[in-house]
Amino acid sequence: MTREEKLAAVGDYVLGLLDPAEAQAFEAACRDDDEISEWARQFAERMGALDFTVEPGSYSPDLWSKIEARVIETPQAERANIVPLVPRRRSAIVQQWLPLAAGVVVALGVGYLVGAMRQTAPAPTIIAVLLNEADASPAVIIEAFADDSVRLLPLDDFEAPEGKVLQLWTLPDVATGPVSLGTLPTTRDTVLAGPSLPTPQVGQLYEITLEPAPGSPTGRPTGPILVKGFAKLPIS
Amino acid sequence: MTEATDPQFLLQAIAHGDRAALAQLFNAQAGRLVAIARRIVRRQDLAEEVVQDAFVAVWQRAGQFDAARGNALAWLTTIVRNRALNLLRDGNRTDYHDGETLAAIGDRTIDAMGAFDALAERDALKTCLSQLDEPKRRAILLCYVTGLNHGEVAATLNAPLGTVKAWIRRGTIALQECLS
Repeated sequence: MTREEKLAAVGDYVLGLLDPAEAQAFEAACRDDDEISEWARQFAERMGALDFTVEPGSYSPDLWSKIEARVIETPQAERANIVPLVPRRRSAIVQQWLPLAAGVVVALGVGYLVGAMRQTAPAPTIIAVLLNEADASPAVIIEAFADDSVRLLPLDDFEAPEGKVLQLWTLPDVATGPVSLGTLPTTRDTVLAGPSLPTPQVGQLYEITLEPAPGSPTGRPTGPILVKGFAKLPIS
Repeated sequence: MTEATDPQFLLQAIAHGDRAALAQLFNAQAGRLVAIARRIVRRQDLAEEVVQDAFVAVWQRAGQFDAARGNALAWLTTIVRNRALNLLRDGNRTDYHDGETLAAIGDRTIDAMGAFDALAERDALKTCLSQLDEPKRRAILLCYVTGLNHGEVAATLNAPLGTVKAWIRRGTIALQECLS
């Protein structure tokens, strides 16, 4: 496509002039072409100023309860089904995580893990198995200790691409928001010191995102979630 | 904007399965989103249906939002816009193709031009739209703000379809060149 054709396609897409099949084809093109993807993102954000001119309108008092009723029955998901403006970079990473075979997990086995941990002191307060966002296969085991340290046991090797780091986060509670536990260039058996936080709780979320080196510029996760999982109590 | 209503923060919590965060996002944004949808679908009940579907989609897809590639409010607004446009294009639900009344066409034009007038003077979008010829500007605003397609813009502006297509093509190219 010439530059002019690309700009015209971006214009039609952002103005909402493409039918659903054409819009899908455009989004597919965005995944293969960083330039057109970036132009579409920029033009959409600029045109978005028109959406912010609107005076907020009233709505039925039961609108939220209708949404809530549907949400309760709706599973969250289809991570592999990438939506517009979330192109290539993420899918490439997901591909790299795919070789995490279920066989690795079976080989390790829960019994083995529990046995191994009994020999290490002190025992972790909680354990979280972080699942690959792409296919929900177990990818990393987290052991969090009462002294704020966190041990990371990868089930496969993974290196962050040039200029990126893996960053481990936890969500002690929603009011606090995600807190960084540290960054690492590869998933390897590592102990991170971790900031001072309340004792890890059952159900607490842990996740690893891909961030620009040397770590998230905002102090919050900004990159794609690679793996995540919720804390459980180890069998004692 | 406080952190409690920061859409990016809320989306992250929603991706973690937090329904209270979805409720907060709804409370902060629903009025604006209903109004955006209503400019496109023209009916309050359909606009609310759009927003309802959009929040269910946000719940399902919050984990796919990539903050590195765009801002959370733009993502949310795009979901609402796309739902509204799909509904508008579904001929069974809206009556544009059966012949919209002159008053309704007039209302769309008022909404489209009103959105342009309401842009901040220092917004480059306003400057760049102002530099376009009047028909190109109108055609682009009717498409973006009220969701009309080429044929509907042609009918609204009483201009040939081919001419309208050329206006929109040249207009959006010039607009992007001006904004970049």
